[in-house]
Amino acid sequence: MPVEFITQHKKPISPTERKFSFLFRLAEDAFKVPVFRCKHCGECILSSTGFTCSQRCPKRLRNGPCGGTGENGTCEVYPDRKCIWYLIHKRSKLTRRLSMLYSIKKIHNWQLEGTSAWLNVFLRRIDPPAFFPPKKKATDTDDT
Amino acid sequence: MTLKEKIQSGRFIVCGELGPPQSANGNMIRKKSCHFKEIVDVVNITDNQTAIVRLSSIAASKILMDEGVEPIIQMTCRDRNRIAIQSDLLGAWALGIENVLCLTGDYQKFGDHPEARPVFDLDSVQLIATVTKLNAGTMLSGYEMKTPPSFCIGAAANPFADPFEMRLIRLEKKIQAGAHFIQTQPVFDMERFVQWMGEVVRLGLHEQTAILAGVMPVKSVKALEHMKENVPGVRIDQVYIDRMGSAENPKEEGVRIAVEIIQQIRKVPGIRGIHLMPVMWESITPTIIDEAGLLEDRMIK
Repeated sequence: MPVEFITQHKKPISPTERKFSFLFRLAEDAFKVPVFRCKHCGECILSSTGFTCSQRCPKRLRNGPCGGTGENGTCEVYPDRKCIWYLIHKRSKLTRRLSMLYSIKKIHNWQLEGTSAWLNVFLRRIDPPAFFPPKKKATDTDDT
Repeated sequence: MTLKEKIQSGRFIVCGELGPPQSANGNMIRKKSCHFKEIVDVVNITDNQTAIVRLSSIAASKILMDEGVEPIIQMTCRDRNRIAIQSDLLGAWALGIENVLCLTGDYQKFGDHPEARPVFDLDSVQLIATVTKLNAGTMLSGYEMKTPPSFCIGAAANPFADPFEMRLIRLEKKIQAGAHFIQTQPVFDMERFVQWMGEVVRLGLHEQTAILAGVMPVKSVKALEHMKENVPGVRIDQVYIDRMGSAENPKEEGVRIAVEIIQQIRKVPGIRGIHLMPVMWESITPTIIDEAGLLEDRMIK
C-alpha cells in the first residue's frame, strides 16, 4: 500500500500568501509557460515526468497514460496531438529518469490550482523536485 | 464462493460483462441475468461505457445480485470527484457489492454528451489506492470509519497500446496500489499479448495479482473494422478481419474465433482467467463458454 498519496491537513492559503503567490507566478510563468507549456496546477511534478508537463493531458493524468494511446503515440481525445505520456516516456528514457515513473504521484490538491509551485515548495506545501533520479535502475524495480 | 475466495483458491476464473440499458428498464437486467447464472463466476457491470448515459452500475449490480449473480461494479473517475467516489463505494458495499473495477474512464467526447465537463479528479492508480485506503478503514480526509468495506479491487491493463514499456510500469503501479485482479483489453493480437505476458511473468507480477485476459466475440466484420479504425489503443490482427469478412455466417465465425482465442489464452503461462465481453450480445456468453470447454470444468468444481 502506498504511504503518501494525498495531501492532508495543510494550513489554508491566506489572502496574503495568494498575493505573494501571484508575484512568484509571474516569474515562474515567464520560464515555465514557454518552455513546458505549464498549466499552473501549483503542484509541479515536472522533475519526475521527464521534464514534460503531464497536465497537458486532456484527462490530466498524473500516473501514466490511459489505455487509449494510438499506434504512433497519438492522443485518443485529440488525434492530431501526441499523447503526452508517450512523450514523457520517450524523454524519461532519453534522460535516464525512467525509474522516477514508478512512484505513485499524489492526488492533486485543487486548493493549490493557480498558485506558484516554487513558493509552494518553499513553504513546504508540496514535495521538492528531485533533480537526480534514485540510484536504482529501472530494470531493478521489481521488488519481488 | 466470492471472487476474492476464487482468486485465492487458484481456479480458472470466467468473467462476463453486461451493459445496463439506456433506459430505466430494470427488468431487462433481470432477463439478461439468465445468460450468466451458474455459467460465469462474476459479471462486470459497465459504468456509462464510452461516455453514453446508461442505468447506474451500482443499481444494476444490485438487481443482478438479487437474481443470484455476483457482480463487479465499474467505477470511473470521469464523472465523480473524490467525495462522490468514496460515497458511492461505501453505498455499494452497504448494498452487498464486494467487487470493484477501478478505471479512469472514456473521455466524454466519445459519448452522447460531448459538451459535459470532465472531472478526472483522481486517476485509476489513485482510485485503486483510495479503495485500498477505504479497505483499511480510513477515508481520504483521514477520517477513520467504524465499519470499513473490504472490496476486492480490480484494475484494467492494456497490453496493446503504446508505449509498451510504460504499460508495464503502469501495471506495476496498479499492483503496488493494491489491485487484486487485472482485466485486460480484448485480445485480437496473440503475438503482442504473449510478449506482454512474458514480461509480466518475468517481473513476477502474475503472482501478486490475478490476470484475466479480455475476449470479445464480434458479430460482423464491420464491428472489427470499426474498432480498428475508431477505438484507440486496440490492435487487431488482419487474419481475424479476413476471416470474418470471408465467412458465410459471420456470427458463427465470431464465436469460433472467440473460442480459439480462449483456447490459446489458456495455454499462456500466468493467466488466471478470462473476461468475456460481448458488447450488446450477452446472450452468446453460455455458447462460447460451453464450446471453449470451460463449462464442464465449472460443473466438476
